[in-house]
Formats: sequence, C-alpha cells, structure tokens
Amino acid sequence: MRPFLLEGGSVSQMPVAEGKSVQQTVELLTRKLEMLGAEKQGTFCVDCETYHTAASTLGSQGQAGKLMYVMHNSEYPLSCFALFENGPCLVADTNFDVLMVKLKGFFQSAKASKIETRGTRYQYCDFLVKVGTVTMGPSARGISVEVEYGPCVVASDCWSLLLEFLQSFLGSHTPGAPTVFGNRHDAVYSPADTMVQYMELFNKIRKQQQVPVAGIR
Amino acid sequence: MEAPPVTMMPVTGGTINMMEYLLQGSVLDHSLESLIHRLRGLCDNMEPETFLDHEMVFLLKGQQASPFVLRARRSMDRAGAPWHLRYLGQPEMGDKNRHALVRNCVDIATSENLTDFLMEMGFRMDHEFVARGHLFRKGIMKIVVYKIFRILTPGNTDNTEALSLSYLVELSVVAPAGQDVVSDDMRNFAEQLKPLVHLEKIDPKRLM
Repeated sequence: MRPFLLEGGSVSQMPVAEGKSVQQTVELLTRKLEMLGAEKQGTFCVDCETYHTAASTLGSQGQAGKLMYVMHNSEYPLSCFALFENGPCLVADTNFDVLMVKLKGFFQSAKASKIETRGTRYQYCDFLVKVGTVTMGPSARGISVEVEYGPCVVASDCWSLLLEFLQSFLGSHTPGAPTVFGNRHDAVYSPADTMVQYMELFNKIRKQQQVPVAGIR
Repeated sequence: MEAPPVTMMPVTGGTINMMEYLLQGSVLDHSLESLIHRLRGLCDNMEPETFLDHEMVFLLKGQQASPFVLRARRSMDRAGAPWHLRYLGQPEMGDKNRHALVRNCVDIATSENLTDFLMEMGFRMDHEFVARGHLFRKGIMKIVVYKIFRILTPGNTDNTEALSLSYLVELSVVAPAGQDVVSDDMRNFAEQLKPLVHLEKIDPKRLM
C-alpha cells in the first residue's frame, strides 16, 4: 500500500475562480478522475478524536499535557488507531474505543475538535484514489486526497510513479514527498503510516482560518 | 477512578459490556498430571495446547485514590501473535448466591508497540511475570492450568524462577453483562473436578 495525502484546503490554493466552494472543488477533482477513466467504488471515511490528559493526572506525572489522537479508517473497519504526535502509533481492535470510555477520568475528549473526512473511492488500474471533504462539526474545512498504489509496499520504490499519476489530475498542486517517510524510505509501508499522514493533515487544517466562502454547507 | 459498576448497565456508550466470570484454585506440582488427564477427558476434543506468556501490569496514577490498571500480555512462543491488552474492573458485589467472581472486562488485540504506547500515555509498569501452562476449552468456558514465574532482572524473561510449588487453575467465561446463568454452568463443571482441585470464588480484596 502506498498512500499519500494532499491537502487542498482553502479555496485560495486551488486554481479555481473566486467564490467556488469546497464542494465545488471536490466535484471538479472527481470529474477529472472520472474523465481519466477511474471507477467509483463506494465511499470512505476517516475520523479523528482528540484526547488530552486530564488535569488530575498531570500533577503526579509531572509532564505537560499530551494530545492523543484516536482515529478510525473505513478501509480497516475492525481497527482503531491511537497515536501521539511524533510518538508511537498503536494499531488495535475496536474495543480500544470501549477502553477510552473507561479511561474517562484520566483522558478527556475535546468533543469540539472531532474532525473527519468523507468522500468517494475511485479505482484506476492499480491506484486507489479517495477524495474527501474534511469537516469539523457542521463546517467544511478542506479537501483531502489520498492515493494508494496497491502493488508496492516500499515507499521509495514507487514515489516517482505516484508523483506522475498525481500530476495527471492535480496539475500544479502536486506536493512533495510526505514527511512520514523521513529516512525510512526502504521500510515496508503500513496502515499506521497512512493514519499519521491523516493526523498531520487534520492538524494543519485545524490550525487554518475557517474559509469565508459563500455556499459552504 | 474506576468506572462505575456495570452489571446494571448491559450497554455503555453503544457497546455491550463484557463480564469475566472467574473461579480459581490450585494444585501442587505432583498433582498436575492427574488434573491434566481429567481435563482432557472432560473438555472439548482438541490438540493439547500449551502457552508461554509474558504479562506486564501497568498503572496510571491520578489524583484519585486508586490507580487505573491495565495488563499487557504477549506470547513468547507464538511469533506474530498480537499483544493482548486487558482491563479488569472491580469485582461486582451483589448476589451472594452467584457462584463465580464477576468483573467487567475489556480485551483488546494490539500491535507490538503496546508498552511504548502505554508509557507515552503515562502508564508505568508495576510488575511483570511469566506464565507457562496448559489451555483447555469446554464450550464457552476456558480452563487454564499454569505456573507463575518471577522475573529476576526486569525485562529479562530468560532468567526466571517459579513463584511456588504449585499450579494456578482458573475457570473463566467472558460473556455479555447480565448472563448470570453462566456461573451455574461453571459451578457444575467445577464439581466434576473435585477432589483433584477445588475451584472457588476468591475475592482479591480479601487477600490484601
């Protein structure tokens, strides 16, 4: 699996006329994909909840409150991913969510910061493309594009191929190599690497100003 | 702070609460073979299954009186098996007629970086041990007969010594909350193991 993520969040970063909404930009991207010959294959959803160490635990541990992200990915419906920024990513089964309920006294969920991306899955030969609208509560905050190249499991082996494919429908908005690879270019790719990328994308979008564009539902 | 008792709440936050029903006993080393022989006869027909596990118990201390306990268990003889994270609640107090110890349990399979992750969450290891023994099944009942080994140098599972001259025997069932009939079936099974081993409901708090 070789996922990669791009964030085309605020409208100003996309080559569309002023006044286009997030939804319209998503439609533009998906139309381009369909013209390329990609086939729709259902929908996907990736969500992320943020937890922080409760004040009562901080004092005795003597450390600054850390943020823990608990994420789900519809591509792996029986799994739950828990991670810390620049820290380990735990892959667990969905009972982990039940455990977080038990840990209520120690880890509090910041309900308002729940963020998710939902959209359509497209299959184009060996590529799986997911274009999603990133939302926080009722407002659309950006667009996520995930591309997976199925046959390859090592990052460095197919990055140029992925880049070429991305350019075919993203044009000038194709980004550089994701930082999650760092110096591990030859490591086998895993779903946890995808989730780290989504976490970074969501954090970036959270920090951005809300886009004041008419027509965003 | 422990979560509130769950017997009265079969469902919490959209998921069914699972309970562990438990009976425990022990046999001296020299009685092991007879017990294994009896269990082979009574239990489901399957290849004799042995296990060698390393369990670490982690605590998260808050300002609450009692720390939050989590158990991380890994197999030492099955490569590639997921790690097992377990939460066990306080024993449910209640019906004195209930034959088994009942407590809320949450079992989670995880990736191998579990201990690093728990430390990142703020947990610290309290103690660890190695368990070696046999596993049997009868329907939904699980019977384990195992010996506990103390780890002499932290983190070194090769250097261990047996904790006692006996084997711990546990009969357990994990079932949704509210199914107390399970403890009757367990008691009936336990009767068939007498007099080799006496399985009882042992309240951990009374031992402290």
